[in-house]
Amino acid sequence: MKFSFSLIKKLAPGKYSKSELVEKLNLHSFETADPGGDVLEVALPANRYSDASSHLGIAREAAAIFGLKLNDPTAEKLKYDHKDQGVFRINVKEKNLCPRYLAAYAANVKVGPSPKWLKEVLEICGLRSINNVVDIMNYVMLELGQPLHAFDADKVSGGLVVRRAQKGEAIAAIDGQRFALDSEVLVIADAKQPLAIAGVKGGKSSEVSNGTNKLLVEAANFENTNIYKVSRKLGLFTDASLRFSHALSSELPLLALNRALALLRQISGATLHSPIDVYSRRQAAKLIPFNLKKIRNLVGQEFKEKDSLAVLMRLGFKKRGRNLEVPPLRIDVENTEDLAEEIARFSGYNNIISVPPAVALRPAEEEALVILKDGIIEILTGAGFSEIYNYSLVAKDRINLAPKGTLGMSGGAAEIANPISKDFAFLRDSLGAGLSKNLRDNLRFSNEVKVFEIGNIFSYSKSGVLEAPILGVAVAAPTAILELKGLVDVLFQKMGLTDYFLPDLNLNNALLKIGESLRIEGGDHRVLGYLGSLQEGKSAVLEINLGKLLTAVEEEKEYEPLSKYPAIIRDISLLVDNSVRVGEILGWIDRVSPKWVKDVDLIDWYQDEKLGDNKKSLTFRIVFQADDRTLTDGEADREIAIINQVLIDKFDAELR
Amino acid sequence: MRNNIVEDIKARVFKLIKEAKDVKSLEEARVKFLGRKEGELTKLLRSLKDLPLAEKRKIGPAANALRKELEALLVQKLESFKALPAGRQSKIGIDVTMPGKKVFRGGVHPITLVEKEIREIFKAMNFSVMEGPEVESEYYNFDALNIPQDHPARDMWDTFWLRQNEVKSQKLKVKSEKLLLRTHTSPVQIRYMEIHKPPFQIIVPGRVFRYEATDASHEINFYQVEGLMVGKDISLANFKFVIEEFFKRLFKKNLKIRLRPSYFPFVEPGLEVDVQCVRCGGRARLPDGQGCNICKESGWLEVMGAGMVHPRVFEAAHYNPREWQGFAFGLGLERIAMIQYNIPDIRLFYSGDLRFVKQF
Repeated sequence: MKFSFSLIKKLAPGKYSKSELVEKLNLHSFETADPGGDVLEVALPANRYSDASSHLGIAREAAAIFGLKLNDPTAEKLKYDHKDQGVFRINVKEKNLCPRYLAAYAANVKVGPSPKWLKEVLEICGLRSINNVVDIMNYVMLELGQPLHAFDADKVSGGLVVRRAQKGEAIAAIDGQRFALDSEVLVIADAKQPLAIAGVKGGKSSEVSNGTNKLLVEAANFENTNIYKVSRKLGLFTDASLRFSHALSSELPLLALNRALALLRQISGATLHSPIDVYSRRQAAKLIPFNLKKIRNLVGQEFKEKDSLAVLMRLGFKKRGRNLEVPPLRIDVENTEDLAEEIARFSGYNNIISVPPAVALRPAEEEALVILKDGIIEILTGAGFSEIYNYSLVAKDRINLAPKGTLGMSGGAAEIANPISKDFAFLRDSLGAGLSKNLRDNLRFSNEVKVFEIGNIFSYSKSGVLEAPILGVAVAAPTAILELKGLVDVLFQKMGLTDYFLPDLNLNNALLKIGESLRIEGGDHRVLGYLGSLQEGKSAVLEINLGKLLTAVEEEKEYEPLSKYPAIIRDISLLVDNSVRVGEILGWIDRVSPKWVKDVDLIDWYQDEKLGDNKKSLTFRIVFQADDRTLTDGEADREIAIINQVLIDKFDAELR
Repeated sequence: MRNNIVEDIKARVFKLIKEAKDVKSLEEARVKFLGRKEGELTKLLRSLKDLPLAEKRKIGPAANALRKELEALLVQKLESFKALPAGRQSKIGIDVTMPGKKVFRGGVHPITLVEKEIREIFKAMNFSVMEGPEVESEYYNFDALNIPQDHPARDMWDTFWLRQNEVKSQKLKVKSEKLLLRTHTSPVQIRYMEIHKPPFQIIVPGRVFRYEATDASHEINFYQVEGLMVGKDISLANFKFVIEEFFKRLFKKNLKIRLRPSYFPFVEPGLEVDVQCVRCGGRARLPDGQGCNICKESGWLEVMGAGMVHPRVFEAAHYNPREWQGFAFGLGLERIAMIQYNIPDIRLFYSGDLRFVKQF
């Protein structure tokens, strides 16, 4: 909000420069900038419009900061020219939406240009000069914070009614723009039609023009949330609606009306009638107990009672026994915490002496998931993968790509009701889609890419939206899928998860090659995620639900007794058809001798023309071990013979 | 006399091996002395059997010892050739000025690095680390934090709302269950307090969202760390201590902090925390006289919003505000990372560009 430095200085006269004021306001009141010239730019907090969206409000802060006397233009008592209220009536039908409606009749008005000093203030604050009457309304709003409105009294038939608009009614605003109204909109109407959108904008029909001679000057208070809703609904944001929607004190209208009338008499020669005041919902005086002990405890400083009270008095608080009466415009002040803020900010936050907290020592914890993520990042970067962050919001063509059900999500992708653009219209339901794009993008700069991301994915669920932490990994390299498989082994080994399976996924999906994709399962075959070759390029992707992985890891933390007996190791080499899959051979070896086979590994494989067409050579290392005794070589040999026979039968393998 | 033959051979062969510059000249030396047919030492050894016993005893061991010594020396010399690429074979061993062998290690995202560092600092001050959901209800994100509905205060947080079908939202009348993407990590304050008893101190790192146009300093998603400490008499002076310690450790410098009044509906009093500029040390100018671009020549960096927890927030979490008090704060991780690593544009964090990430 823009303010004129010279006007502030007129209201709080003293020997301070603009830069001093800017600095002090920043430290004690509001964030303030100096854009140059006479202008001050104040970022007014949302709870201070009632007392400080005005030059007087800023001046009040300045006076409290510098210890100056405030030159308050509302202190002067106004004498009306006529005791009567003129010939008009006010009827407030919506007392909750309009707690106070105040209007005064003014005659003999000479409409013309405004004096220079008035025009200057308007200009500095970004308002256009219209004529002296309208300008005075705006000036008083800038000076005191209360929006005002002047109707041409000759164009008002009957009196003023404050009512809800009826469906079908419309209004042409001062600038000619037409608005269709409904019952949510509060209007100021006469006997015939709406004259103004209450608290938002005046209407064309009763506008003050050069020929205007008599005025009805309005100073009212409107309920803030309704003004806020109407202003948003009509897309109409004015200086008045801005102030009203932040909530103003209903003690403000009378001060502002008198000030405006005084200026009208001074500048346009108006003769003034006593105002009509319909004050339906009176603002009660607020008393807060002055609890200095609590204030000291909250701030952690031993404030002196005398100093603390002095600060509050300067801001207009009044002592009432053990209580403090809050100045009427300070509708933001409600409790001891608010008083603590006033005392602390004026005594200076930077004068607070730091004190280490004295608390009982309890060991700091970290959520298990946080620790898991840390561990994963360590392992993956060690293995040469780089971490990437993608957006949580994605375009429609980036959802429903990953294989369904592998990540524990059931419903459809969650949609944003108010997307900022088509590219960010949905919440991602997998990390794989984003990572595959990362591969493509980075392949422009390097021929091998290894990336990962840890982040949440989302889908609709019965109770709202389900959210799951996911690890996604992607590789672009000649044997990408095998790199990922190797990574799964390392990852799970480091996590302490030994009980896991990688069966064929066999699920049609848009992301992966169907023949080159696997499901990742933990103990009891619970699905943890998937991995597979991407449909495009030599690349592969993996996703694991970290919540499910955590459960699997925690369940498996059981000690397995070590065998006391030595192991026997045998290698077998086979020549098989290319179409035979290693996973199946491993499965059969396991099945033939499940009791004694402790471990089977593929330790070597190659393809060569010399082997013959479509053949590959595989070498497995098999570890035999019994838990209860030492196996003999003979027993191991017999097992190997059985295994060999099975492999010959099942896979047409040739022993080498 | 024949004993001298061994000494003579030894002197000549050692000289040859020493001077050998490559595998080929080394092989020539080997053939000349150890060659199966014409090697000088081989021939000498073969001739031993024809010598008188006394001489055999004298020369035999010496010649055999020399053969062993030679074989070892040849292997050693050959190895030294292998260790060097062709053309760079040298008698001084490995050229250590050559570049080291590349070890591949992935980059960690700078936000992860900064987050981890912040977690470590707070853990050292006995803060626990918690997380919370990114999709939140209107209740936790706004209502419970004393941010009233239909009030412009709520406009401080531009919000992404989720599309929900009518049936779902109708049965959820008790707390406002309209779903949104959390605009700050503050909802976790309520979630944590609902199920934990004070006193405690936590931090909450996490991703948050704002409906706003992106530019060099604004993103639609970014990271915050929330802090919350509650006890019988946790004060603003305590906050000042904790936060001074935090920044001292984070920036590894004894930087001053500055507190300014501000407004957040869920704290009272509300504060903005500035820290002296890391780059110019608060002088607003760099040593070369140029204006400091990091703090925009103000000498201060705005890094954190904070304050004392508002009594209504305690009430929402069913704490008695007469009994408990404490401070809360929130800081943006991108901002810290941009300061720490001198990163000019927030959009780089979400570019997915490895040339960026691999620098960390």
